[in-house]
Amino acid sequence: MLKVENLQKSYGSQDVLKSVELKVEKGEIVGFVGGNGAGKTTTLNCITGLVEQDNGKVTINNVPKSQSLDYKKQFYFIPDTIHVFSNITAYDWIHFVLKLYEKKDESKLKSLITSFGMEASIDKPLGTYSYGMLHKMALITAFTICPPILIMDEPLNGLDPLAVVAFKNCMKDYVENGGTILFSTHLLDVAEKICQSIAFLKDGKIVLHERLENLLVDGSLETIFLEKQANDS
Amino acid sequence: MALSKKEVTQMTKEFKIVWLPIVFILLGLTQPIMMYYMPVILQSMGGVEGIMIDPTMAKPNGSEVLASTLNSQFDQLGIIILAVATMGIIQGEKANGMMAFILTRPVSISSYLNSKIIVHYILAVFCIALGYGMSYGYTSYLFTTVPVMQGLLALALYCVWLLFVITFVAMMSTFFNSSAFIALVSIVVLFICRFIAGLHPFLDVVNPASNSLHATIVLMSGDMKAWYGIHIAVTMLLVIWMIATMHHFIAKKKF
Repeated sequence: MLKVENLQKSYGSQDVLKSVELKVEKGEIVGFVGGNGAGKTTTLNCITGLVEQDNGKVTINNVPKSQSLDYKKQFYFIPDTIHVFSNITAYDWIHFVLKLYEKKDESKLKSLITSFGMEASIDKPLGTYSYGMLHKMALITAFTICPPILIMDEPLNGLDPLAVVAFKNCMKDYVENGGTILFSTHLLDVAEKICQSIAFLKDGKIVLHERLENLLVDGSLETIFLEKQANDS
Repeated sequence: MALSKKEVTQMTKEFKIVWLPIVFILLGLTQPIMMYYMPVILQSMGGVEGIMIDPTMAKPNGSEVLASTLNSQFDQLGIIILAVATMGIIQGEKANGMMAFILTRPVSISSYLNSKIIVHYILAVFCIALGYGMSYGYTSYLFTTVPVMQGLLALALYCVWLLFVITFVAMMSTFFNSSAFIALVSIVVLFICRFIAGLHPFLDVVNPASNSLHATIVLMSGDMKAWYGIHIAVTMLLVIWMIATMHHFIAKKKF
């Protein structure tokens, strides 16, 4: 599914990614965790093409990143900061993005709008939206498109409890239907509940990538995270 | 198609499709009216003391008036207005993150650039045609009528120059991050191109502004020289080269 080999990225003299190796299998939900500045966002940005890596290879469903258009059809990316046109409505925005993916599923879209509690605000200009509402809109778009893999950078930030529940349900449905998810998060308790495996990034390298059931034998994810941070520093 | 629609929506929301045609209509009207009423205007502005108006001076014909609309109005104020209206087409989306968003979707860089250039070019052609049409009407009414084919041929040649103008401003918008700098560089370079047009035949071949000069020559004389085609072809090659440069710049994430 998603294969990252020897991913390297530097900004000036700072090596942000030293050699990231990551494999995500079809139907898996992988939580991407790590401290601030570990390189999570840079890794996701390199995978999605937002940033060009200095070295390394990325493929999704055996399509290499160099085959730009085919590669970009394989995933939907929700960045931490959602960029939109402030003067159009969320409904128009979603339709614009759906057209880019050549997708149209009005009934699914309407049901997702209801699930995320966005019926009242979907026709309002995006300029009036809060950070959390923009994330909800991005999630509605992503689950309507239903790409082979969903890549998200801190998707739970700013979501209200209703949206978190809707998000978990949508993830479940999506994965049951063959979808794959890679998302970064700092919320270890949530990751513990919804992920099937955890990839732990530290100083630009994956230092641990294990299935959750194997990890939890040694304690909670929070304990393991704290130990890893302390041990290697 | 979705990208082109998005461009049109953005233009509508920014009222660009309203104010830009109005400005060009006013520009088009200004030249024939000014030329016709100049003596009256001078009189009403405080007399003609110190200004000598040659009574034997022949009234300009329609072709001269229409040619001066292209030369004086569109090639000076018009270019400044178009540069200002177009300067943010890519810079704005670089700054607000929209370009990064769109280019991580199944959209090629070529589709992204082409949608921007084509939509803005169509708007520019529409505005110029509207202003030119108004100028043509008033010129016919106040002076003499210019043969329609001659007028259309001149407009077509002018639109070749216009394509270069829009693509060049888009290229500056890709390279630089400051709106003011983009507008300044674009206006200076385009003005230089326009001022040196006609200076040397060899220079004219590579100077896209020679198409604007040819437009005025066609209006004045009705002569369409065969070698104008070479100038058009060279301008098209320059446009293609600029798009390829923008493509390379964006692909290498140099923004």
